[in-house]
Amino acid sequence: MVGKRTLLLLLVLAFLFTPLLAAIVPVVDMSLLGGLSYKPSTETVHQGMGMDLKISLPSPNSGNVRGEVVLKASYPDTSPTLNDIIHKAYLRARFPSFRLTAGKTRLSWGDGMLFNAGDVLYGSSSTSVSLTQAELRDKTDWMAALNYPLGFFSFFEAVLIPSTTTRVEDVGFGLRFYTNVGETKVEAGYATTDAGERKHKPYVSLQGNIGADWYLSSSVALDHAFSTDASSFLISGGLFHSFYFSGDRTLALRLEFLSRPLGSWAFKGQEDATCTLLLYPELVYTPTSSLSLSLRTILSPLDLSMNTTVGAVWSVFEGFSLVGSLSAPFGQSSDLFNWEGDQMIALGIGASWIY
Amino acid sequence: MSKPVVKLLLTLSLLCIIPSFLFALTGEEVIQKMDEMATFETSVSTGSIKTTDRFGTKISTFKAWARGTSDSLIEFTSTAERGQKILRTQSSLYLFYPDAEELIRLQGAALRQSVLGSDLSYEDMTEEKNTLDSYTVVLEGSETVNGYDCHVLTLTAKKRTVAYPVQKIWVDKQTYLVWKAEYSTAQKRLLKVMKVLSTVEVAGRTLPSETKIEDKMKRDSATWMTLDSLEVNVPLAANLFSLENLTW
Repeated sequence: MVGKRTLLLLLVLAFLFTPLLAAIVPVVDMSLLGGLSYKPSTETVHQGMGMDLKISLPSPNSGNVRGEVVLKASYPDTSPTLNDIIHKAYLRARFPSFRLTAGKTRLSWGDGMLFNAGDVLYGSSSTSVSLTQAELRDKTDWMAALNYPLGFFSFFEAVLIPSTTTRVEDVGFGLRFYTNVGETKVEAGYATTDAGERKHKPYVSLQGNIGADWYLSSSVALDHAFSTDASSFLISGGLFHSFYFSGDRTLALRLEFLSRPLGSWAFKGQEDATCTLLLYPELVYTPTSSLSLSLRTILSPLDLSMNTTVGAVWSVFEGFSLVGSLSAPFGQSSDLFNWEGDQMIALGIGASWIY
Repeated sequence: MSKPVVKLLLTLSLLCIIPSFLFALTGEEVIQKMDEMATFETSVSTGSIKTTDRFGTKISTFKAWARGTSDSLIEFTSTAERGQKILRTQSSLYLFYPDAEELIRLQGAALRQSVLGSDLSYEDMTEEKNTLDSYTVVLEGSETVNGYDCHVLTLTAKKRTVAYPVQKIWVDKQTYLVWKAEYSTAQKRLLKVMKVLSTVEVAGRTLPSETKIEDKMKRDSATWMTLDSLEVNVPLAANLFSLENLTW
């Protein structure tokens, strides 16, 4: 019922924007997924159908001010708030020497598809992520950001993150410097946020090519006394390379890692927030330009558990794709991935359409 | 035949032959002229990429800006990929995905990735027009393509970073337009064939307005690239080919 209310609210909000639609072209991104899941802990099978709906209302692409509203809802969703539904709502103004962004949007700091120690604003270290999504990390937040170009390929960025408690001392902010040194991209920055306890998070991120593309990021979260615990020092990195075969077939390989090097390296059960080492191998085979088959795994080497997803995307018509996936955890009861608790084996088949 | 007549014929023959040697272009000169004719100080264009396969047709539209031989910026304007941008400069290629607000720098093999599932790669879309920096040239002879007398040239890659190790191209002797090109592997295995279907006159030069690219490794697949508008030598903002503009 709540899910239906969400959809209704989304439609009402879209209707309210109707007068604007004469000037702009809305984009609707709809994903329907039928699923079958088996929870080994309770030996129960569930079936259901879900829908993700995203409506994007971008401003006309001209002038020195632009913006976008993106409304997002999922069915069934048990507790959506207005903040959940407003995925993006921002304006951006270009002044002669700097650019200002204000509202709810995303800033991508650091490098990494799944693991990114440089993502000090939102965090990209959790294993609670659906490997069936095209974008594995898409969290947005309210902010005001200033981008100051330093030449054509370098810039400085400052961001202010408003307090969620209305207390001034809970305001967060961050700074980033982005440049190229020779063939290597160099990015360094700092962010401080207060989610219960104020943390100071400096980071550095590098990216280059040695035949394969490589990237490396590191960050640390320090408390008010500038001390840290073992799980707050993160290093992530990755290698990416594509192989091309006759018939325009492509095989793309990616291997990422995330490490908390000050953690325990003992071979024992791991937890998501403190896991010492995680690997993310990804293999995407594209036999034709419209079909891609993927194998994505999050692997915890210290307890030899993993979560694997096999997926297929077939772009049949313009904007229309058929998708399918099968995911399953493998591990023992105390491992990071296991067949206890809420973890389940899931089969999903559906379609997505952008128009 | 009397001696004076023979002398006269020899002299006339020499007079006819010598200029053709004196003024014949080398392969490198043909390529230089070809690059010159395809390069403007600046340009702004709009167009579309149409891809067909056995399930139908997909069309993506774009707007593109270029400056000189190596700077280009392409912004996709069609619904599914609106706002995605490709920036090519002399040393780097960057992609911007607006949904994730993500800036990606492409290097190495990633440059050969297909653009939006078409038969064009990022390298094809934003190729530098300094052909002689990347290829050695052999002038093979002359052939007629679409009724136009063309130089036939074979280009062999000097470095491994180019998209196609071997190219055979047919260059119009009058306009220096490439009417046809065959792209092959180093082992001479044919990968793609490009043909110009129609042309447009801009600033006294003949340029392709509709091009068909066929991937010879795929059945029932072809890509048409069409220019709907093209303005040349127009003033462009100084920061157009920058990260600031790419992420705008």
